[in-house]
Amino acid sequence: MTFFSPSRIWVITANTFTQLVRMKVFYFLIAFAILCAGLNLLEFDTGATETSEQKLRSVKSLSFFIIRSFSIVFAIAATAILIPKDIEERTLYTILCKPVPRLDYLTGKFLGVFLLMSVAIAAMSLLLNGIIHYHTVAAMVEETARFHTAGASEQTIALRMQELSRYGVTWSLQYASLAILMEATLIAGVALLISTFSSSTLFTIVSTVVIFFIGHFQADAREYYLSKQSLGESGGTTYLTQLVAILFPDLQLFGVSDGLLKGKTISLAQMGQLALTMLLQCGMYLALSWFAFRKKEF
Amino acid sequence: MNAVDIRNLSKTFKSSLRAKPLLAVRDVSLQIPEGQVYGLIGPNGSGKSTTMKALLGLLAPTSGSCHVFGHDSLKVDSRKDIGFLPENPYFHKHLTGEETVRFFGKLCGLRGKILKEKTKEMLDLVSLTAAKDRRLGGYSKGMLQRIGLAQALVQDPRLIVLDEPTAGVDPIGSREIRDLILSFKERGMTVFLCSHLLEQVQEVCDTVGIIFQGELVNQGSIEELTSIEEQTEFILENASEALLHQITELVKSSSDATILRTGKPKTTLERLFIETARSRNH
Ligand SMILES: Nc1ncnc2c1ncn2[C@@H]1O[C@H](COP(=O)(O)OP(=O)(O)OP(=O)(O)O)[C@@H](O)[C@H]1O
Ligand SMILES: [Mg+2]
Repeated sequence: MTFFSPSRIWVITANTFTQLVRMKVFYFLIAFAILCAGLNLLEFDTGATETSEQKLRSVKSLSFFIIRSFSIVFAIAATAILIPKDIEERTLYTILCKPVPRLDYLTGKFLGVFLLMSVAIAAMSLLLNGIIHYHTVAAMVEETARFHTAGASEQTIALRMQELSRYGVTWSLQYASLAILMEATLIAGVALLISTFSSSTLFTIVSTVVIFFIGHFQADAREYYLSKQSLGESGGTTYLTQLVAILFPDLQLFGVSDGLLKGKTISLAQMGQLALTMLLQCGMYLALSWFAFRKKEF
Repeated sequence: MNAVDIRNLSKTFKSSLRAKPLLAVRDVSLQIPEGQVYGLIGPNGSGKSTTMKALLGLLAPTSGSCHVFGHDSLKVDSRKDIGFLPENPYFHKHLTGEETVRFFGKLCGLRGKILKEKTKEMLDLVSLTAAKDRRLGGYSKGMLQRIGLAQALVQDPRLIVLDEPTAGVDPIGSREIRDLILSFKERGMTVFLCSHLLEQVQEVCDTVGIIFQGELVNQGSIEELTSIEEQTEFILENASEALLHQITELVKSSSDATILRTGKPKTTLERLFIETARSRNH
């Protein structure tokens, strides 16, 4: 009997995916599309005095905010209901009575949510790319016309176009979406862990939200502690801060889209590092979830 | 080797801090040899489902142990040979009947052609072929019970554990399920079931255990349990009025025998069940 069978995990993943899709969770994508289109149109009507860069930035800022909020809300809600739903539907009994190790069950469920988030974020990011592309091209056409009437040289125009394209569809833009997926996955891992020992879905959701905020502020808190430390505090706090750093996700790391908005470019190496951090931490959450779930009675 | 080997199983539930722990099952030992049909009967809340869940590893015994074909129930290996139908089964309501059976088949490692054939066979077996493309959200209680049975049998288990297999199933359906159980027995499968329908238990089971407030108070073959030593029963076919009169006269003339009752044969397990319940209540 293999303990960790990829094909069995895939069966559960696919089942979870189908289940979530049939619960019509994808409807929120339509809401997203409408929201994005609507808000961006509004934005463009009012900001007549903005430069092209500012316009593009505000489009991105708004879109990323929406994508991120959707992803986080989705990660928390979908993961929090996974196990309670199976208990309520009593499917858990029948699944665990088949030769399915509990770790395989948890991994399969988690990957099901991950798969769904990947598809959803890919779809949203595709739409975002479309919007950005449209606005960049529009800005380029508009500015070229303006430059021509002002009688600027071809070289100036080309330089300007190059500058503008940096605000358009770039690799960094894709990385920012990918970072959102990673952040959402990490939060889903936290929600999974909490749901293995919590007795109500509400508790799971509330605690995950709390951890989400801790995750965003922990980097600041750590800096604060470290600065105190250098002023000669006791060594106990370092262990504590290290423990906090390991147990809680440092979500500021994943704020790649914020950096992007400030005009930073994002390197592949940086993404690799993020992915590694996420994988390690998700692995830890999964292991802890399994530990809590291993002996659970139904 | 016994298919099921439960030794000194006890299970306590601690609900809240203040409430007294509830002893749901106390010191239950039961063995089921391969190929037998064992029926567990008892009133509501007597610990039947708890015993079954412990056998499946869904609950950890507080003390004692459960083994299935020699494998400890707490280990995943033990579940390869078990098919389980929980009480009031319910499944993902967004899946169709066919998808549900396929899903459980896949979990058991079935793939490709075998999976397809097995799914079809199971749906036929529980007569749900006509409803296979409907989602379970729209299934009736009896239909869910049937899908539960199909899912339990999909990997050809050597042991099937059925928690009230006929609850909510119509009389014809429950007769079909009874026939199914008998056919499992013919194929050499071991069956462990619990039910409130004593007549049915009596019809299909080789051995019966009576559980009362968590204790296994009586256990034995149907023959042993239901025969009353100092009484003798004649079951006559086509006996004439005259013959019956003669027999009655004959008994009257004897010094110590008395006729307690004459009439049509009745289920006796039911009487035993009620008697046990009554004597335990004192
Ligand atoms: N998870 C649980 N937590 C606390 N108590 C439980 C739990 N499961 C069962 N019990 C208690 O254990 C006792 C036995 O329950 P069990 O479900 O085994 O009864 P049963 O014989 O199957 O009854 P029924 O015929 O109604 O299905 C009951 O008193 C029940 O309240
Ligand atoms: Mg029960």
